[in-house]
Amino acid sequence: MNLARRLYWGTTHFDFVGRRRRWFMLSAALMVVSALALGIRGLNLSVDFIGGSVIQGKNPAEASLSEIRGALGRLGLAGAKVQITEAAGEKGFRVQTGELTPDLEDRMVAAVAAVVGIDDLDEISRQTVGPTFGRQVTEAAMRALVVFLILVSLYMWWRLEWKMALLALVGLGHDLLLAAGIYALVGFEVTPATVIALLTILGYSLFDTVVVFDKIRENISERSDRQTLSAIVNMSVNQVLMRSINTSFTSLLPIGSLLFIGSALLGATTLREFALALFIGVAAGTYSSIFLCAELLAVWKEREEHWQRIRRRLGRKGVEDEYAAREPEIIPEPEAAAALPAATGAVPRPPRKRRRHR
Amino acid sequence: MSRRAALITLALTLLVSWGSLVVTQVLGVRPKLGLDLRGGFSVLLEAPDGTDPDVLEKAAEIMRRRIEALGDVQEPEIAVTGLRSIEVQLPGVTSRQRALDAVGKIGQLAFRPVLEVSLGISPLLAAAIQHEQSTTTTTDATTTTSGEGATTTTSGEGATTTTSGETTTTVPATTTTTAPPTPPDLTPVLPPGIAICVVDDPDDPDDAPPPLSDQPGCVDGTLGITLSDDPTKEAWLADPRTGEVFALAPARVLGGDLADAQPDFSQSGGGAGGVPFGVSTGGVGEWVVSLEFNREGAAKFEQVTKELAAYSPGDPRRRFAIVLDGLVQSAPQISPEIGPDTGISGGRAVITMGTGGNPEQAARDLSVVLRYGALPVAFEQPSVQSVSATLGADSLQAGLAAGLAGLGLVALAMLAYYRALGLVNLVGLTVFASLLLVIFSLLGETQGVSLTLAGVAGIIVSIGITADSYILYFERIKEEVSAGRSLRAAIDHGFGRAFRTIFAANVVALAAAALLFMLAVGAVKGFALALGIATVVNVLVARIFTQPAVALLGMTPLGERGWFSIRRAVGTAREETA
Repeated sequence: MNLARRLYWGTTHFDFVGRRRRWFMLSAALMVVSALALGIRGLNLSVDFIGGSVIQGKNPAEASLSEIRGALGRLGLAGAKVQITEAAGEKGFRVQTGELTPDLEDRMVAAVAAVVGIDDLDEISRQTVGPTFGRQVTEAAMRALVVFLILVSLYMWWRLEWKMALLALVGLGHDLLLAAGIYALVGFEVTPATVIALLTILGYSLFDTVVVFDKIRENISERSDRQTLSAIVNMSVNQVLMRSINTSFTSLLPIGSLLFIGSALLGATTLREFALALFIGVAAGTYSSIFLCAELLAVWKEREEHWQRIRRRLGRKGVEDEYAAREPEIIPEPEAAAALPAATGAVPRPPRKRRRHR
Repeated sequence: MSRRAALITLALTLLVSWGSLVVTQVLGVRPKLGLDLRGGFSVLLEAPDGTDPDVLEKAAEIMRRRIEALGDVQEPEIAVTGLRSIEVQLPGVTSRQRALDAVGKIGQLAFRPVLEVSLGISPLLAAAIQHEQSTTTTTDATTTTSGEGATTTTSGEGATTTTSGETTTTVPATTTTTAPPTPPDLTPVLPPGIAICVVDDPDDPDDAPPPLSDQPGCVDGTLGITLSDDPTKEAWLADPRTGEVFALAPARVLGGDLADAQPDFSQSGGGAGGVPFGVSTGGVGEWVVSLEFNREGAAKFEQVTKELAAYSPGDPRRRFAIVLDGLVQSAPQISPEIGPDTGISGGRAVITMGTGGNPEQAARDLSVVLRYGALPVAFEQPSVQSVSATLGADSLQAGLAAGLAGLGLVALAMLAYYRALGLVNLVGLTVFASLLLVIFSLLGETQGVSLTLAGVAGIIVSIGITADSYILYFERIKEEVSAGRSLRAAIDHGFGRAFRTIFAANVVALAAAALLFMLAVGAVKGFALALGIATVVNVLVARIFTQPAVALLGMTPLGERGWFSIRRAVGTAREETA
């Protein structure tokens, strides 16, 4: 059976846990690049965060960049950012400046209107933002995020267990940093809409993680005395793979159409802000729930006494892990067995899972 | 689900969703578009920290009145959002500058000594009428003297206050019956420095007059009422509640001189920490407004109350008008026990509300007016935005195109994945879209909720989320079948289990949307609202459409036979179990 078929029928046997190092390396590399990009290039904050004026409109006279710049220069606004846009075959322009007095803004609009050939000044859209607005929006968003995270963590703690809740948050942090890194690297403008859209979708990506963990929990309760944790995690991830891929794909389709048809072809920039953040959020969320959180959970929980014992017992019997078509060099069994108790040190914690077998 | 029940549910669902769509569209009930989709002007105003919510409401109310006076705005939306912000949205507004003028400045609160009071007519107009009558009987030489006489009357030294007050009630009657319809000329009775307002001439729309804010203190040429209230000049203003029209001296105390004003219930009739000022009814207890001035205001207030107390009790000139934004809010009288040598000192005063009407409400309203007046001259404007009509139309078009493309792509993907089940998804998407459109149409019509570009984005995003519900269900059917159930049993049994997951997932999504809606401002609110509504509709569609549709489909030939069938999509029982 080819890959698509096996995916479709849920009969894939990928060894996610066995190959975790390559995913960990990938994530680590992404994190380092993101952090560097953030540190060096910084985010391209929109006018909403730094304050200033944006005017935009059509450009029937097809004025060039230098003509508009010239008009602005005569008003002493040489530092303004000027863009010539083109959407659906029509030229447009966009000018962004720092904070202006209302009077100067009016004169700027009049000057630019004359250059681009617009008679009715109300045909030019304007946005004037004080420097506090973006901060206010972001603060509100952050408050929402914190409240949301606390509630979701409590829910996961209650429904699953605290290790899973914590790892879901780790995955969330990963996605956030990655998205911020992409924005910094590519230089996309960050608007309040971006921030909020990203936060919204993080909710969904968190839910993706919950679905994976929920499956793991279900499988653990069924076969915790027969298989190693790594095998159970592998099996669970393979089981939800189709659903995760399908859901991400169908979520990305409309977002992609928003991104490419709505904004690139037809030039609605507000749509782009939403769509881009959503696109990155969904993609990163799916990646981290499958390739990062599940593996981290496997590594962490393998240290628990219960799973150590299972592993030793199965090792003695020489039973292969399910789905564990792993090459010996990826997890050298003796090394893992020797290293783990030594690393944890003292008396191992009593197995938590016991309670579930009452 | 039995065949009969499924058929009935499905028929009802399709009838209701498509039917209501047709009905709303035929009736012309469409979603109300936000101003980023049809052009317009919006501004976010921010009051200082700690501003009372009542005061914010008052500010919004005053802005609404001013915007309505502009005349060319359809459906202005002025709402208090967040803790201390007011969001003003003016769809389709053509004049940015006038809109900004209307909402940009706080209404000026002023305490003006009363010069003259009359009922139902401006004292200025009354004086003009009197003047006109006198000119018809006397020579030109007397015209000027009587004109001057009228001037002195309005500036506060005339002695004929009461008589002019009486004559006003009779004079209008005579003018309407005997005089020609042209109103009397106010020019001869106007005090120096006050002009008649130049207003829009309907016959000559090209020649726009300067805005009223550039004509300080000007007076309406026919009514004799001040249109552009300037605290440094005399004014003729009405109290719409009592119908009194006042001639008022320039302001002596301004809103900025006030420190605080609170409604109070005074047990002893005027002993609430301030000197009584206003009509005391002498009851056991009464509602009052306690005023507190800052140091500068206290000195001004003491001085002016000394002057006012020089008039005998009952004289209208013993009254003090509280004027906000061109309307007299209250005109209390200095209490009889205050003498001209003491005045009201100490920066505290009490306005008693009397017993008529609802004194508690009156006290609250007046204190809100006073506190509003104490706000700084202008709110901060963290965001001002105007969207041209063409940009709005382009955005709408882009949103619709993207939405349709998204719907189409998702439907295609689902058809490819799940064959006949994808067909269910396709029809389900039309049910989902119809219901959303109907809901937004109704919300726009009844609640004034408008659909913004962010909302459109939220709906498009939710298309992907609805697909998730179908996927969860279809995958569940697959699992049940591979575990050995028959197709029909899997369809039946799978729904119950999938629905629990769908429900949980959507509750989380709804909680996120609700949280976002409560905490966010502006565009983001629209996004959260659309997402939230879509989430609810999504769960509903799963229950009233997906379940019966899949159940019925499983009973048709498309269930078992052919490459397009459900059977081909979900496979058969796995031979060996893991």
